[in-house]
Amino acid sequence: MRTLFYLLREAWANIWTNRTTTVVAILTTAFTLACVGIFLLLYVNLRAAAGWLQEDIKIMVYLDDRVAAATVNEVEQQLRNDRAVAALHFISKEQALGEFKAQFPSESHLLEGLGQNPLPASFVVTLSPPFRSPDAVQRWAERTGRLAGVAKVDYNQDWIDALSTVIRSIELVAIGIGLVLSAAAVTIIANTIRLTLFARRDEIAILRLIGATKTFIRIPYLLEGAVLGGLGSAMSLFMLKVLYELFRQEMRTTGRFSGLEHLIMFFPLSICLVLVAVGVGLGCAGSFVSLRRFDEAKV
Amino acid sequence: MIQLMHVTKQYNRRPALSDVTLDIQKGEFVLLMGPSGAGKSTLLRLLIGAERPDDGQVFVNGRNVTTLKASEIPFLRRKVGTVFQDFRLLPKKSVFENVALPLLVQGVSSSDIKRKVTEALRAVGVEHKRDQLPVSLSTGEQQRVCIARAIVNGPVVLLADEPTGNLDPVLTGEIIELFKLINARGTTVVVATHDPSVMAQVNRRVVTLVRGTLMPEQRVVV
Repeated sequence: MRTLFYLLREAWANIWTNRTTTVVAILTTAFTLACVGIFLLLYVNLRAAAGWLQEDIKIMVYLDDRVAAATVNEVEQQLRNDRAVAALHFISKEQALGEFKAQFPSESHLLEGLGQNPLPASFVVTLSPPFRSPDAVQRWAERTGRLAGVAKVDYNQDWIDALSTVIRSIELVAIGIGLVLSAAAVTIIANTIRLTLFARRDEIAILRLIGATKTFIRIPYLLEGAVLGGLGSAMSLFMLKVLYELFRQEMRTTGRFSGLEHLIMFFPLSICLVLVAVGVGLGCAGSFVSLRRFDEAKV
Repeated sequence: MIQLMHVTKQYNRRPALSDVTLDIQKGEFVLLMGPSGAGKSTLLRLLIGAERPDDGQVFVNGRNVTTLKASEIPFLRRKVGTVFQDFRLLPKKSVFENVALPLLVQGVSSSDIKRKVTEALRAVGVEHKRDQLPVSLSTGEQQRVCIARAIVNGPVVLLADEPTGNLDPVLTGEIIELFKLINARGTTVVVATHDPSVMAQVNRRVVTLVRGTLMPEQRVVV
């Protein structure tokens, strides 16, 4: 217990002794992580938006005009048993005609000239989230198209592909920027810890001589790095939250993108905690880098 | 207790120790004499694993220091107390905290730390200074605190590198007497010094190094 108290006290002494450097390091880390956070927030919101848009993607399963009612029931049963299908809605030939007339009243005379209803009966299918990727949709459509009684499976392939490409691009940019700026945060913290190590080199030399293990010597500096990273990350979240609220306020007052302010979201608490934990991890990594160099240099 | 077998150490191709062979028995008091640059400090650094010899073997308390892993060195140092000319006390920590440090790194309990530190401070005669910072102590007192820190965890060997270098003759005498007391309790003591007056006060085995080479031994009788 006394040893633990000593280590905590040493970590606090490091922070307090170099408080100006510590504050600068926390602020710099906060700004750096806030840049990562902006992209992450953008990614999270676009991902959510993509999710809503994907929900709107309906797949039309057109039935053969000549099939018997029993076959239609059979197709419906097969679709209902399919775990990829989240929702199913049947549109009869008559309903299809009615909808056409409702949507295109000026063109309804075109169908009347044909004498009989040319529109097929269909099922409107919404797929479950795990089956909404372009490949999965294509595979599902091909499989369903082979069912007896199904004439054609239709969906907007281009829209799905475009949406998927946008999400993937943002994901890659967020990962790339996240990695580069995280490395920057590690470097900032590493340099701060290096200053502390240099200031306390005589003390470290004494600790080595009296039989302190590497772990014992390292713990206060790792704790210091963890505090810098954790506080930097927490502060970056605070800055992002302020920016987010200002942005929403701006949307509300100017009336631009009306309604969208209810759709955009901030990180949920669980993600905030994960981001603080990531900050702590980056801080420890920064300390570790400096400690390794310090050990090698034997200053 | 301490054994060096044909030890050679060079710095930038300049020999600090040349083919040194030395055997120190348990409970001995040995003076390591020689002018500055003779290799005394190098020899002491080899004994605590702060340096590795280029050639030869070094044994301390039955362990081959030459082959010890880096992670094993701290455990060797817990058995070997060290005293320096410049004391190397932590300026922002009290006398008590400085002396408690070797126990703290070993995870000794608070009650044991209190007891052992008090005993060590009493043994070197600075118990009344326990709450003061090193800067408020005289040089002699600082050296006593340094000795208390070196003996607080009951080391089997005590190494002192020019421990009287910053002290006047009276204080030098007091510190030497302290080493004799510690030695009388069974601790092997090795004191490196270039000061001939120390030799006259010790009256024990003398090992002399000259330019890294061990000279024939002599025993001083006062």
